[in-house]
Amino acid sequence: MGKSFSKDKWSYMFYTIAHPMDGYYWIRHRDRGSVPLAIFMVFLFSCSFTANRLLAGFVVNDIDPRGVDSLYELMGVLAFYLLICVSNWSVTCLMNGEGRMKDIAIAVGYGTVPMTVTFILATVLSQFLADDEQAFYGLLIGVGVAYGVIMILMGIMQVHNYTLGKTLTTLFITVLAAFILIFLVLLLSNLLGMVWNFFRSIYTELIFRI
Amino acid sequence: MRKMKVKKLLSLVLALVILLTTGGRVAAADELPYDTYNYDYREYIHYTPAAYIPEKTIRGLDLSFNGEPIGAFKTPQDMCLAPDGTIYIADTGNNRIVVLDNAMKNVRHIITTFKNGEKDDTFKSPYGVAVSEKGWVYIADQKNKRVVVLDETDTLMQIIDNPQSESLADNFIFNPMKVVVDYADRVYVIAQNMFEGVMVFESNGQFSNFFGTIEVSISLWEKFWRRIATKEERSNQRLYIPTEFTGIDIDPEGFVYASNIDANGIQGVRRLNPRGEDVIKKGQNENVGGDLVTGGNGDYAGPSQFTDVVYRDKGIYSCLDRKRGRIFTYDHEGNLLYIFGGLGTQEGTFTLPVAVEDIGGRITVLDATKGEILCFVETEYGRLINEAVGLRYDGDEADAVALWQRVLELDENNELANTGIGKAYLTAGDYEKAMYYLELGMAREYYSIAYKRYRNAILSENVGYVLTGVLVLLAGGLTVKMIRKKRRKGAVE
Repeated sequence: MGKSFSKDKWSYMFYTIAHPMDGYYWIRHRDRGSVPLAIFMVFLFSCSFTANRLLAGFVVNDIDPRGVDSLYELMGVLAFYLLICVSNWSVTCLMNGEGRMKDIAIAVGYGTVPMTVTFILATVLSQFLADDEQAFYGLLIGVGVAYGVIMILMGIMQVHNYTLGKTLTTLFITVLAAFILIFLVLLLSNLLGMVWNFFRSIYTELIFRI
Repeated sequence: MRKMKVKKLLSLVLALVILLTTGGRVAAADELPYDTYNYDYREYIHYTPAAYIPEKTIRGLDLSFNGEPIGAFKTPQDMCLAPDGTIYIADTGNNRIVVLDNAMKNVRHIITTFKNGEKDDTFKSPYGVAVSEKGWVYIADQKNKRVVVLDETDTLMQIIDNPQSESLADNFIFNPMKVVVDYADRVYVIAQNMFEGVMVFESNGQFSNFFGTIEVSISLWEKFWRRIATKEERSNQRLYIPTEFTGIDIDPEGFVYASNIDANGIQGVRRLNPRGEDVIKKGQNENVGGDLVTGGNGDYAGPSQFTDVVYRDKGIYSCLDRKRGRIFTYDHEGNLLYIFGGLGTQEGTFTLPVAVEDIGGRITVLDATKGEILCFVETEYGRLINEAVGLRYDGDEADAVALWQRVLELDENNELANTGIGKAYLTAGDYEKAMYYLELGMAREYYSIAYKRYRNAILSENVGYVLTGVLVLLAGGLTVKMIRKKRRKGAVE
């Protein structure tokens, strides 16, 4: 493993999960984080998410396994990750955020770890649950998601050196920016498709005439 | 060499035999003029063996009464099984009621006229017919705007017409379509353009009340649009009026089954208790509206339209869909048991099915356009399901296991069969097998019960090991901690 996956980076990631405020501060100022590690964590999150949907016990799981596609979900999660990072970066750039792109990527990536862990734990636990104990399963997943969201919130707050209020405002604008980004991407792909069609029709015309 | 030849010949003959026998069987299955299928827990279609197959068709032309042919039925609209086993057919276009014997081979009687006071009276488009426990015949004489009640000897007993009540509009015209009588001789009438529900008449012919009104549901979204629409726009929108009932039947306990056309395809039939409240159970798919998959284009697409319902036995009832000519059979829990029937011109299919009846275990359907009565007879598959559901209705689920097992041999994916077997194992205490079958049957609740007991059994069996394990772990953890502490101390010193 290279430098990005060194033992130090791993242990610092776990330190960050236990002490988010402190951890994220030094990630921003001492480069203690690792972007590849963060992306790997997002990958693991996607895997655990799919695993939970496919393998959770019969009692708690009402998902049609035919509707679950792990590759598709991985692509979706990675695309969403990219979208959040890009839109947050483009918003915070304009709003005096101190964080760099890589800090945002690490903040969000590390923030998925609690969710990954609880999804796996809940999936295992669900094998041993009966109907009236479903609440434990829900609680476990709820705690994981809540912890993950809080971690991402703290991460964004720390790397940009924001107050809580400003973080929430920027997150709200980030969501709007994400929608604008989606719109732009759709527009772009549509226009590219038109250009592509234009050249294709020229090509077919030529083929028919020659 | 010769041995080889004999072998070759033998194998050829064997192959031919196999081809002939199996080929014949496949052809028999193909002879059915309709698809038979069911929906599973995830609302996927899976094809099943046929529960009912066409047996015979009865045409008016084939029948004769007192040596004279009775002629073809003309747009017959209703059919009713009398308590004595005879079958009453409302031959609407010919203005008569035809009574057949139970085998539907001979005409017992034809009602065309009856004495009303001094003069002879006739029917005008008799649309519905019902027979009470006493044997009195109730005829919804539609164009004459009345319900005629005759006794066994065609003597007029009563005429129900021109109902008077404050709850009826002044310009109300009584147009009875379908009629049914309960054990107390109360008369339930479905009238045309009567959106308030089924009309109930006391045994003396007095209008009593409306029954089982279908509530109109307007979504919040539609309310919002109506609020912001102008008056002209609003007058152009479709009106929110409830649907009418289309067919009616009554079970021995006095619960009324009434079919209606639901534009959403969710509930096409209601089970009304004596207070007029709908107490039907909709099953795990929350649906008693026929087909769950209704996509496509043209006339053939869209939700099923139930035009009649028949209560059969042990909580089982069948609904007739005129959209695609299918018969949907549900049990008392709202589980869809089987589907059969179809539109077409082949023998065994319908053009315009209007009424369904259960006559001695046969399902018979009246086709108005063809003027025919089609009989369907149950197959082994249908019989097994009927019997097993009946046993469950009576609370003898354990006895049904053998039946369900045979159903599984015929139809591997039958969720009801899996659930039935699983429940029986659950009662018998074989939790592992119960879990296996209940999971296949997608019966989450019962699976959970089985699992809980299975878990408790394993825990109580192994409680010694579990406790020892916990103790060992605790002790091990403590010693490791102590050793570490000592080492650290040593290192500091």
